[in-house]
Amino acid sequence: MSAGSSEMKDLMASSKWLDAHYDPVANLYTFTSCVALADLHGDGENKLVVGDLGTGLCNMKLKVYRGTGLLSENTLLDLPTGLVSFLMEQHEPRTPAVAVASGPFIYVYKNLRPYFKFTLPPLEVNPLEQDLWSQAKEDMIDPMSLKEMLESIRDKADIPLSARSLRFLMLDLQEMVTFVNLHKEQPIRRQTVITCINTLKKNMADEDAVSCLVIGTESKDVYVLDPEAFTILSKMTLPSVPTLMDVTGQFDVEFRITVACRDGNIYILRRDSPKPKYCIELSSHPVGLVRIGKNVVVGCAQETLHGYTQKGKKLWTTYLPAPVTTMGLMDLPCRGFQAVLVALSNCEVHLYRDKNLLSIIKTPDVVTSICFGRYGREDGTLIMTTKGGGLIVKILKRTAVFDERDTAPGPPLAQSIRLNVPKKTKLYVDQTMRERENAVAMHRAFQMDLSRLRLAAARAYVKALESSLTPMSASLSEPLKMNAVVQGLGPSFKLTLNIQNTAASRPVMNLAICFLYDEKLYSMRTAFFKIPLLVPGLNYPIDTFVECLSDKGISDIIKVFVLREGKSAPLLTAHINMPVSEGLALN
Amino acid sequence: MGLFDKLAGWLGLKKKEVNVLCLGLDNSGKTTIINQLKPSNAQTQDIVPTIGFSIEKFKTSSLCFTVFDMSGQGRYRNLWEHYFKEGQAIIFVIDSSDKLRMVVAKEELDTLLNHPDVKHRRIPILFFANKMDLKDALSSVKVSQLLCLENIKDKPWHICASDAVKGEGLQEGVDWLQEQIAQSDQNDENVRQ
Ligand SMILES: Nc1nc2c(ncn2[C@@H]2O[C@H](COP(=O)(O)OP(=O)(O)O)[C@@H](O)[C@H]2O)c(=O)[nH]1
Ligand SMILES: [Mg+2]
Repeated sequence: MSAGSSEMKDLMASSKWLDAHYDPVANLYTFTSCVALADLHGDGENKLVVGDLGTGLCNMKLKVYRGTGLLSENTLLDLPTGLVSFLMEQHEPRTPAVAVASGPFIYVYKNLRPYFKFTLPPLEVNPLEQDLWSQAKEDMIDPMSLKEMLESIRDKADIPLSARSLRFLMLDLQEMVTFVNLHKEQPIRRQTVITCINTLKKNMADEDAVSCLVIGTESKDVYVLDPEAFTILSKMTLPSVPTLMDVTGQFDVEFRITVACRDGNIYILRRDSPKPKYCIELSSHPVGLVRIGKNVVVGCAQETLHGYTQKGKKLWTTYLPAPVTTMGLMDLPCRGFQAVLVALSNCEVHLYRDKNLLSIIKTPDVVTSICFGRYGREDGTLIMTTKGGGLIVKILKRTAVFDERDTAPGPPLAQSIRLNVPKKTKLYVDQTMRERENAVAMHRAFQMDLSRLRLAAARAYVKALESSLTPMSASLSEPLKMNAVVQGLGPSFKLTLNIQNTAASRPVMNLAICFLYDEKLYSMRTAFFKIPLLVPGLNYPIDTFVECLSDKGISDIIKVFVLREGKSAPLLTAHINMPVSEGLALN
Repeated sequence: MGLFDKLAGWLGLKKKEVNVLCLGLDNSGKTTIINQLKPSNAQTQDIVPTIGFSIEKFKTSSLCFTVFDMSGQGRYRNLWEHYFKEGQAIIFVIDSSDKLRMVVAKEELDTLLNHPDVKHRRIPILFFANKMDLKDALSSVKVSQLLCLENIKDKPWHICASDAVKGEGLQEGVDWLQEQIAQSDQNDENVRQ
């Protein structure tokens, strides 16, 4: 136990991180997918770029921080779902652009000024639905039948309804006519939205190579976009809606897109295949996804962290003390160090390398976004934002080392080591044979002994009940429990009786306690007294004092009886083995 | 040019070489400061910028400067530590506009002060709260608070705000350092006699 707690102290990472900045009221409400670090001005000093969700209705902003201060703010028109920084083109100055995904659009900023807006291609519209609205346009169909027909399409058709039809179906009868008149002239469109965004190097692996944008959509598609022309270079389709995405490789050479989807599965897409190559079925929904080298680490809703190979083979599972809120990669290339940061809802951020817990960072609030990397001029910077809108910046100490040792609670390493089990001996084989042949007889003998044991126990119990020797009351009307404690060295002892009424709700009244003892050996101030009303559940300590009269080093039993007024048989009996008096009386 | 010429000349009379370490995080202004102090005839001895840290060395007639960045996620930190032993005075440069990395500067300073080759020696330390011209720069008082300089009890130290680009504030610091070196020289001689 004590070893465990000192290990926990080691894990508490106060010695590993410098607290560079904490602003509890930074007013930053965001998630890991909307935070990036980038050298926006090409001055060797990385800035923090945040897509701030504000309150969800207003105050949505693109914010840029330099050091501890806010450098700039741009208003966003809609909620951001993801933000990345990427290099669009080869030529100088090589300053990265920022892409903010929101709704069906990607807003691209260069030098923090709006530069380009990409819109997802519209989806195919159901021809039947199209037909119905053309009829409505010609006033050839009344709203009621339009409603019925649309409902039947909604329930059956492969191609889902457009947003307009879905809104129409939610309306009351009197609102329908105005709605139809208002919208019938415009053609119907089916638009999907972006759920996640990431980048993929075009054809070079360098840190500062040109990157394509990769987006996942609500229509279960994944698109790769050209970094300069924003044309769709590749389209892949998933069985479910992607929510978290990791991308590695180069578009022109070989790449791998790992997507966690809303159906609780992870799919792995590769170049030259429009459908997923591998599938990982999770036992609960994915909350965070981090790729570390060739492995994928997933945090799941059931407070677990799993490691998988890139082909979907499970490597390990670790159990977490609280639900995961978000995850991030801690990559320190200059030290060759990689680990996974897991933010938990108990205001802790755990650092894992494989399944080993390396360190714990306590935070003043629940962390909702994590970003580790070079900030300003400092390579090992950890940036976190919190549920309450706070901003935390920590810098990894240059002297910090993370212990390789397995500190995760759980089965010890030894458990997975194969034991060198010796060969079966002749004796062992003989015994097994005997057991096999005489199974019935052995079972009978065992059952017989078991019955005997039970009988002996029952007899002892009855005897105890008959002589009222039990410290547990057997009477159903006065369920009581008592124990006694003797304190002191002698010749004076303090005797404490703890009495408890174990009934569910009924109090017990009119009880008394009486002591029976050898009067040559002991004297008691009061050998009989009444007990107050016993409220159920409470413990009543009752103190009394015993004087030992002998100095010959002998001791005896004192019997305690709990009695009910007007009943001669005691409810409870306890025998107290008095200790030998070791003290000398003060005369 | 050549603010140290006076100091060097004065020490030159004594035929003694003084090793000055100029330390601080990268980008704090060390090179700029040293270039201001360099006498025009000083030659740079060697620059080793390749292996993750860089050391600049140059010599005047009687002063030997060693300058290095205490930066980077330090694989090479033990390389610069062996210069501590030779140092007889330290110039520690802080970028007073870099609030985020003030904790890092403090951490490096504390490590330096606790190094066995520095800890028990009365080496004078001169702090430059540099880049005072920048609008979000902290005052030298604030910098000395953040670095907890008041806790340095066993070494003479001094902090001055500076603008290394214009050369402002450097003279005050150098005068102080000169006095300290002269005093410790005096003490040494007293001990010898
Ligand atoms: N505004 C301002 N800039 C400075 C000052 N001192 C140095 N710099 C600039 O800060 C940058 C880094 O300086 P440098 O001397 O190379 O720092 P070093 O890495 O510590 O050697 C350079 O661009 C200098 O021009 C100063 O006092 N004020
Ligand atoms: Mg330099």
